[in-house]
Amino acid sequence: MAASVLQRCLGAVKVIHKSAYLSCAGRRWLLSAAYTDTTLWETRKKDPQNLAQLAAFMDRIYERNFPVSSLTISRFVDSISSREEVDQAEYYLYRFRHSPNCWYLRDWTIHSWVRQCLKYGAKDKALHTLKNKVQYGIFPDEFSFNLLLDAYIKEEDFKGACSVVEEVMLQEACDLPSTQILSLYALSRYLATKPKLGVSEERGLGASLLIVGLKQNNTVGLSAQLLGSALLGKVEMAEGIHAVFRGMPLLWTPGYVGRALAVMEKVAAAPGDVKLTKDMIDSVEAVLKELSSDSDSSEGEESGGEEDRKGESGGEEDRKEEKMVDEDDLAERAKLPQYASRFQELLSQLQSQGKVDAAPLEALVSALAQQALPRAEEPDLEQYAGRVRDWESERRQLIQREVEARERAEMEKQARIEARAAAQQG
Amino acid sequence: MVKKKRVRLIAEMARKIRAYRELKAQPRESEKYALDYQTMKRPHTGKTLPVLAWEDVGRESRLFTLLSGLRLFGVGRIFTRKSWLADHPEPSYWQITKVKVDYVAENMDHGKAWGILTYKGKQESEVKEVEKSIYHDWRLVPKHEEENFKKYEPLPEPPVRYVSYPPLLRAMILAQGGGSARGEEPTLPLKRDVLLSKDYFSSQEEERQRQEGTPV
Repeated sequence: MAASVLQRCLGAVKVIHKSAYLSCAGRRWLLSAAYTDTTLWETRKKDPQNLAQLAAFMDRIYERNFPVSSLTISRFVDSISSREEVDQAEYYLYRFRHSPNCWYLRDWTIHSWVRQCLKYGAKDKALHTLKNKVQYGIFPDEFSFNLLLDAYIKEEDFKGACSVVEEVMLQEACDLPSTQILSLYALSRYLATKPKLGVSEERGLGASLLIVGLKQNNTVGLSAQLLGSALLGKVEMAEGIHAVFRGMPLLWTPGYVGRALAVMEKVAAAPGDVKLTKDMIDSVEAVLKELSSDSDSSEGEESGGEEDRKGESGGEEDRKEEKMVDEDDLAERAKLPQYASRFQELLSQLQSQGKVDAAPLEALVSALAQQALPRAEEPDLEQYAGRVRDWESERRQLIQREVEARERAEMEKQARIEARAAAQQG
Repeated sequence: MVKKKRVRLIAEMARKIRAYRELKAQPRESEKYALDYQTMKRPHTGKTLPVLAWEDVGRESRLFTLLSGLRLFGVGRIFTRKSWLADHPEPSYWQITKVKVDYVAENMDHGKAWGILTYKGKQESEVKEVEKSIYHDWRLVPKHEEENFKKYEPLPEPPVRYVSYPPLLRAMILAQGGGSARGEEPTLPLKRDVLLSKDYFSSQEEERQRQEGTPV
């Protein structure tokens, strides 16, 4: 019965998808209605449970130091029906993560957690659990990431969307083209608002631009790579290479500004139609100028400061300051004037070859999204449907196993009672 | 005559119970390897870390700090150590296959991991426990750099060199007809693929016996 229901819904999804595709052009948001459609998800065989009972059950198990099964927590997350229960579910997710079964948190539980958060308007809760993924164990798959990104983009909350993109980057989950396009859109819209960036924000933004841009081999991707490497190079010059790659999936070889210039060289040398956007190049120029002015002023300060400090007896602070400026980092800073001159050369080369695109990045990304996103969505949806089927079968297996285990425990208990009664009589 | 030993059953039982309780009361990984980053001391033993390691402990991370932030605790990902990067030009890395996390830790950053080691470009065939996972030395290889990192072409091994014998021995060998009775210079290979075990020596003895024959 469940299988036939699923088949009917798959048919319905395909019909909706086609009609949405035709009327997609005039819409403001990116993902088509079929993608964010909840019918397929809602029509799974549901197992409505009383949340209070489940909560009491889980508390008892935790007290007795037994492991809670992944089925219990998935039932809890599935049966959320209001905003307060979202908070309760967050607590139980935290407890599950800190139990021996933490490895077995199922994909479908995470997916349904994201869906429920979006349904009850708890996007910020979902983002909070995502950010503290170490504590909550939420590692969504790309489909869930797409849903979350879409919700943030619809509300024009580009700062939140960029935090989600940072999480995508940290998990390196940008394999699907739909995720890449959505993240690039969010990033470009955020950059267009010209925000004031602190060091850690620059680092996160630069890393996400670089890693998402590496997957796309067109103007958009390469411009993203360029700005990403430049931002990371700025952080590297200011704080040292260790501050760049700590906690991020980035390479530890110093020289990020050099790599940004290598991207420019690659575009200049490539025979195809690939260009770099003007606003990215302007930003890189601004970054380089800032760095050179910083290094000039700090050189003056440092020489003055060192003379002061030589007289002091506070040896520990001195040692720490010297240790922070590593040999490699000093070598990088020395290369800065070389980088600046090379940048000017490459810029003139690109301009002469006509490879500087005057359109802003967001316009290009929107155009790309219009073209490529519908095509990218189709395989996603099919894969999702297949995955939902697998999840359902796995869930049925788990329920069956639980029922069998309970029956076996009952039988053993019966046998023990009978044995005790026989021993008492005999 | 030896007096008959008294069988003390209760003492035996007490000994076993004490051993069992000691096994059960072992501290968890998160307690044993917890570290106070301000004073660089381990709260469990009260010992301070060696001074040369303080810089690394401040800057790098342990294996499980990296694993706790990854999907499925980083199973299937590749991790290097900073000391390997500095010491060996050939790629050395661990590929993780199995993880057992200590769930008591607040940030899930203690535990044991198992994986396949590739040391200096040579991959091993068995899954072993990751050694020195508590050292603050580990780096994650990002997915887009994995292929580049693993690329390694081993240099061909240099051919075995041969060396001439010392002059007296050489004269003796040539007088006896030489190891090679072809009028060539007898040489000694500088590298021999021989496992010096008991079997090898006994087989050498037998061969010498055969050549010399019996004394009579």
